[in-house]
Amino acid sequence: MTIHQSLAADSGSEKTVEQSVYFYQAPVRLWHWGNAFSILTLALTGYFIGSPLPSVSGEASANYLMGDIRFIHFAVAQILSVLLILRLYWVFVGNVHARQIFYVPMRGRFWKECLHEVRWYMFMARQPKRHVGHKPLARLTMFFMFTLPLLFMVITGFALYSEGAGRDSWEYALFGWVFSIWPNSQEIHTLHHLGMWVILVFVIVHIYVAVREDIISRQSIVSSMISGERLFNDVED
Amino acid sequence: MATAETFYDVIRRQGITRRSFTKFCSLTAASLGFGPGTATAIAEALETKERVPVIWMHGLECTCCSESFIRSAHPLVKDVVLSMISLDYDDMIMAAAGHQAEAILEETKARYKGKYILAVEGNAPLNENGMFCIDGGRPFVEKLKWMAEDARAVIAWGTCASWGCVQAAQPNPTQATPIDKVIRGMPIIKVPGCPPIAEVMTGVVTFITTFDKLPELDRQGRPKMFYSQRIHDKCYRRPHFDAGQFVDEWDDEGARKGYCLYKTGCKGPTTYNACSTVRWNEGVSFPIQSGHGCIGCSEKGFWDQGSFYDRLTNLHQFGIEANADKIGLTAAGVVGGAIAAHAAVTVVKRVTTKREADG
Amino acid sequence: MKIETPNGFTLDNSGKRIVVDPVTRIEGHMRIEVNVDENNIIRNAVSTGTMWRGIEVILKNRDPRDAWAFTERICGVCTGTHALTSVRAVENALGITIPENANSIRNLMQLALQVHDHVVHFYHLHALDWVDVLSSLSADPKATSALAQSVSDWPLSSPGYFKDIQTRLKKFVESGQPGPFKNGYWGNVSYKLPPEANLMALAHYLEALDFQKEIVKIHAIFGGKNPHPNWLVGGVPCPINIDGTGGVGAINMERLNVVTSVIDQLIEFNDKVYVPDIMAIGSFYKDWLYGGGLSGKNVLAYGDVPEHANDYSDASLKLPRGAIINGNLAEVHPVDHADPEEIQEFVTHSWYKYPDESEGLHPWDGVTEPHYELGPNARGTKTNIEQLDEATKYSWIKAPRWRGHAMEVGPLARWVIGYAQNEAAFKDPVDKVLKDLGLPVSALFSTLGRTAARALESSWAGHQMRYFQNKLIANIRAGDSSTAHVDKWKPETWPKKVRGVGFTEAPRGALAHWIKIRDGRIENYQCVVPTTWNASPRDPAGNIGAFEASLMDTPMSDPAQPLEILRIIHSFDPCLACSTHVMSPDGQEMTSIQVR
Repeated sequence: MTIHQSLAADSGSEKTVEQSVYFYQAPVRLWHWGNAFSILTLALTGYFIGSPLPSVSGEASANYLMGDIRFIHFAVAQILSVLLILRLYWVFVGNVHARQIFYVPMRGRFWKECLHEVRWYMFMARQPKRHVGHKPLARLTMFFMFTLPLLFMVITGFALYSEGAGRDSWEYALFGWVFSIWPNSQEIHTLHHLGMWVILVFVIVHIYVAVREDIISRQSIVSSMISGERLFNDVED
Repeated sequence: MATAETFYDVIRRQGITRRSFTKFCSLTAASLGFGPGTATAIAEALETKERVPVIWMHGLECTCCSESFIRSAHPLVKDVVLSMISLDYDDMIMAAAGHQAEAILEETKARYKGKYILAVEGNAPLNENGMFCIDGGRPFVEKLKWMAEDARAVIAWGTCASWGCVQAAQPNPTQATPIDKVIRGMPIIKVPGCPPIAEVMTGVVTFITTFDKLPELDRQGRPKMFYSQRIHDKCYRRPHFDAGQFVDEWDDEGARKGYCLYKTGCKGPTTYNACSTVRWNEGVSFPIQSGHGCIGCSEKGFWDQGSFYDRLTNLHQFGIEANADKIGLTAAGVVGGAIAAHAAVTVVKRVTTKREADG
Repeated sequence: MKIETPNGFTLDNSGKRIVVDPVTRIEGHMRIEVNVDENNIIRNAVSTGTMWRGIEVILKNRDPRDAWAFTERICGVCTGTHALTSVRAVENALGITIPENANSIRNLMQLALQVHDHVVHFYHLHALDWVDVLSSLSADPKATSALAQSVSDWPLSSPGYFKDIQTRLKKFVESGQPGPFKNGYWGNVSYKLPPEANLMALAHYLEALDFQKEIVKIHAIFGGKNPHPNWLVGGVPCPINIDGTGGVGAINMERLNVVTSVIDQLIEFNDKVYVPDIMAIGSFYKDWLYGGGLSGKNVLAYGDVPEHANDYSDASLKLPRGAIINGNLAEVHPVDHADPEEIQEFVTHSWYKYPDESEGLHPWDGVTEPHYELGPNARGTKTNIEQLDEATKYSWIKAPRWRGHAMEVGPLARWVIGYAQNEAAFKDPVDKVLKDLGLPVSALFSTLGRTAARALESSWAGHQMRYFQNKLIANIRAGDSSTAHVDKWKPETWPKKVRGVGFTEAPRGALAHWIKIRDGRIENYQCVVPTTWNASPRDPAGNIGAFEASLMDTPMSDPAQPLEILRIIHSFDPCLACSTHVMSPDGQEMTSIQVR
């Protein structure tokens, strides 16, 4: 099985000079790039929903700028949600890497590795540990700064959408409970807005670390998300 | 001996014929999904029923709900009070005072146990043992609980009774508490707004007296018929919102053309009320029509959502004050700076390590 | 025990104590206790504000441009007047000016409130103190019609009309469910109107109830709704677009026509119903001239209704400004809100603490700390008051004083000052009323005088509305459509630390807000409102407030029925939510009761 092989590759890679392991399955990669596109679009359109562009001239009936921006936001949000559902399905049927960012293991080893990674980023450790799939710290960050916020955004997003869709809509039936937590939806708007910034900050860190790791730690990161394979090309001392 | 003027008497007096009345009853029955037999029952109820006793109490409030109530144009509040309900206690308009007023409460509680409607305007402060609002020498909250015990239902008038309103805005020095946190085990109909629209208020009351049931409530305890859509959903300036045409500054070109007030902080998109449909003061206008954004006065905690003129809520957490964009940009800036620094250190480290290795 | 107060009253609390709580037909919560002697004459009076909301502490650290909405919610009866005072205070602090149109629109709104409030106050909060509902049922509709036609040419005056009203009232009262009329003091000998006058007044009670909702449509036009219309720092929120694209969504001809039509109606109602009713009722009560209290001694007004935008000088203000003390009408003193020696608040008899309670504090430096306690001679417990001890703290209302004097404010105060200043707009109508009723000037200082001044003011306000409506139209015709100045809208344009004061004449009297702004936020906010002046408890010197003074020496026909007390207190149009909102320390621990 691929999973066992990749795990084996992980533990027994001491002497490897160049080795490639296939671990990001196609749905995971598709999700990643689908997300990248959606989140960028959603952040941009969302920003302009919160702070609209200067007024357009002409009769109202001849213009639909805000409507279009909102339409794009909603349409892409639907795409993002469908992708998320598919991805959640893949958590159960995909390989071990497919479920990595959906929970945080409570094992001691995981936290030890996190610590090592922190030391590595603090320039205190000379060599990073190699991992197939996500590194522990990345996994932790992704879980708290991406997976959970993403879920939050989808839930609050549908709740806010249900305001326009109406009390009889399926959106309200499924997500109306959000209004029991925050009866004044202005608060949900604010939290949804803050959620965007959490994800954007994550994106910045994510891109930096990915590029940096690609260069420094001699493990392919960026290309892995395209090919699905991780290339280890480091020379062991 | 004259008898109580019933709903039937009122509409007859207003020139509605017996025939129209019967028709009204069968239509009502049909719209409620009942058969023709029910129409007769409704007709009989409206012709003979004793008016529903209403006890209207005032806690911490500003009386804007009562003022709004008397603005009702259809029905006229005169007809509501004289013919549709029996407003036995309302310290705002009742003739009696002191002991004579208190006696009415006792009497109603005993005589109409489980039958009277308790309408509450304002809320109860709990600090200082409740003595920030004294009524008859005692804390208002006690009187409220006592009268609620035997009511058929409770109406929470306005945002004070429903959510707490201005005296409950931070830091809520009197611990003003919405009535549903004080009264338990009793159906409570929230009719929020500061104040609620007059015709919404009389609409809720006459719904109860006409259909002899309580209105369907939403998740927040508000009548669905008036509070299930946002101001924004039915705002006549909505096309300007969709078009992307906004008022940027007071009295600018956009303001004079009646563009959308979203950028000047209108809370219509997050406010559930009937203002943009029923409108105010016999349909003359509503806030947006008169050039000022909605301040969200029927929403919970609308006082604490930042300035009424900001689109994005100002947040006061952690001793700083900024909106979501400022916080986000600051966070992104800090993270970006840290990344730049980290990248620089990485490069320096690499170069020195390489030199060491080379040397 | 007998006490002579510095302001000339003799208090004697030895007689029987009568407690009225709640006082109804007022805004908010209040309690009155009096002592009557063996002849049932009131010899001691105690007025207590029984609610506290803490609006001013809530205002701290907020955006000054939002303050109007918070302060507006101090009172829903005089809705808008606090908001106007607030935007004026903020504009005064930040040096913001408003366009001429905004001034006219604000005056129209303020005057509409004046008329609305006076009409509702008289007919729905006050009339039942003069008018006996039961007696009206025995009136002869024909005689009622004759009476009505003799006092006014108001068209609703046929015998059939009064017959219908009487039948309806009869049915209502005899139904066993008399609603608000239940347990009234009907038949009390203090009711002096003949049945026909009672019936006419009740017909107008119902007409006024129908009509009052029309008056406030002016608020709806300019402010979007009523109660609680919207206001704006720097002008008014409603733009004017009289004949351009999109004018239908702004103040346009149709909107102005609504305003004109309402003004026409309210002038007619004032002049054909309200004022004649007061004259008719007054003619039956002209021997009952109790309740003068402070009105003949100390009265205060701040002035309002500026002719010119941004000009709050005496010359510009159409309602008079000034203070009269010790009954000397020959001298009207100037009033300065910024002078720390003039307006001060005391708390010796209020449920608040000062570091030194013998001193008063100017509102800009106002500190307040709630301190609820009952005096040693009080009866009952802290949560079940049977009787208050007025020798100690006994009210949630502070005691404001002008140069140490307890003052009366309100329509009567304004009209007395206008009269003293020999302003024809005030003097002529007053002289006419006095002449028609055959009463001397001294009769002005009474419950009836207060009620009559309010009616005259309502009429005056109606005509002023027509004036400002015409002025607004003339200004638009001259090419000025501006309604707001936005150059200082953004907090970045504001000075770092400023303070200001805004004042108005609320329907109930002189109202002012003092604000301190620091770094774009409210640092301190204080309101001293009309009912704080009128309902004030005693001060360190022992002066009694206007409510207490007015009750003194009034005979009660039946001590079990507080009719005379209600009549006198109502004549002030008390607004308790207004008067009892002063601030508390932040985060003070207070005992609280358990929620079940």
